[in-house]
Amino acid sequence: MLYRVNSPQVISETVGGETIIVDLGSGHYFNLQGTAVDVWSGLERQEPVSAIVRRLEARYETGAEPIGASVEAFVADLESAALIVAESNGAAPAAVDEPAPVDGEREPFVAPTFTRFTDMQDIILLDPVHEVDSTGWPHASAAS
Amino acid sequence: MQEPDGHAEQADLADWVGSIATTFEQAASQAGLAERRLRVAGAPVLLRGAGPLLTQLSHALDHVADESDDEPELVISTWDSATPQIDDPPLPETDGSGPRGTLLYSSDGTRQVAYQVGLAQLSAYDGARNAWFWARDGAALPWWEPAAPFRQILHWWLAERDLMLLHGASVGLTHGGVLLVGRGGSGKSTCALSSLESNLLYAGDDYVAVGQSPVPYVSSLYCSGKLQPGHAKLLPHLPPPMFGGDGSEDEKAVFYVSERFAERMCTGFPLRAVLAPRVVGGTEPRLLPMPPAHALRALAPSTLMQLRPPRPDALSWMARLLQQVPAYELQVGGPIDAIPRTIERLLVDLER
Repeated sequence: MLYRVNSPQVISETVGGETIIVDLGSGHYFNLQGTAVDVWSGLERQEPVSAIVRRLEARYETGAEPIGASVEAFVADLESAALIVAESNGAAPAAVDEPAPVDGEREPFVAPTFTRFTDMQDIILLDPVHEVDSTGWPHASAAS
Repeated sequence: MQEPDGHAEQADLADWVGSIATTFEQAASQAGLAERRLRVAGAPVLLRGAGPLLTQLSHALDHVADESDDEPELVISTWDSATPQIDDPPLPETDGSGPRGTLLYSSDGTRQVAYQVGLAQLSAYDGARNAWFWARDGAALPWWEPAAPFRQILHWWLAERDLMLLHGASVGLTHGGVLLVGRGGSGKSTCALSSLESNLLYAGDDYVAVGQSPVPYVSSLYCSGKLQPGHAKLLPHLPPPMFGGDGSEDEKAVFYVSERFAERMCTGFPLRAVLAPRVVGGTEPRLLPMPPAHALRALAPSTLMQLRPPRPDALSWMARLLQQVPAYELQVGGPIDAIPRTIERLLVDLER
């Protein structure tokens, strides 16, 4: 399955190993850490979910829950939050190199999650922005 | 973001901006024209006003008044339709539904216009150097407008100069200052206003312009200060509010720092640190190092939500800023006059 970030409504930035995602439409913002950052970075590059899972399987030790199921559940949560949308127009996935196996002991896999913050949504509810095209604006000739 | 959609749309928006300019010139021919020169974030700016709105809105910019005759890089023309009574500029038709703060925005990639329906306020920028701010009735402006006038226009114009209008307060010393960030109610205004009886200089309590080149730098935009009514007891050195309001629960007292504390007002300083205040009680304020991602979470959402539309690279711009200066959580507790002392100590330490 292939997804893309729901831009321009959704913007994100990764700094210091954490990702901040802001949904300008809802006013919600999100914090991602650890494996969630890995998954988000792959989605940003438009990698198929299967390729993201393969990379995580090469890097982490599988825990009680299979990595694939955890990632798919997380991706579903991202889609449900309207942070990503499924590509339905046959967009080509990004080319992905097969992940190299990690030397030595692999880190235990921690299921990806996000934290959602809703304290800014009142601004959006009280001061919503509607972008309009030229048909919504008066024309000089009509106004004079 | 509205993208250019061919020549027809560009012509439409150009026509409309042109008609806004014409309406202003008509107002000026009736009411007379007054001008004020400013220097905003280092650049000469000319305010032109027809009627009393200019006086009402320029008070918060008193501290950046400029005596030079330098060619302005931005000209803001402002008027209302109440004094004298003149026709409104052409406005979009709306059904009036939606919240009071609803903003209609359009851009053809060069020109930008924003109309706040419930507030009957219009901001426009031609993408060159001319901008217009109109309100239907200056006497009916909400309390926050004179405290931080022309925000929308400055947001557009500053972005072209690779500066960003950030939602934050700022205080400091001549060699460097701090940016206080956080959502409304986090305590940044209180921290900034507590500094007026200290050695710290004041650059703003709500919005400032920040640049990154060649070094991170804060430029003051407004000399206003805002307090929630309950805060006046905490900060008895502050003057009574200049004007009241409708008494609603979120009403704040607004005053002008340049009047009462002229010696504390400054136009800017290098940015040395970002502080995110948090009220935790205790006996003394404390500074705890904060990861850049946490500081970004404190700074970015409120800036992005309040100044629309954000420039496309706004989030990465702020992240870059936070990689250049350290960030701290400012845990606030104890006597209020300990806050500026704590900030001053930090600035002295960072200078060493």
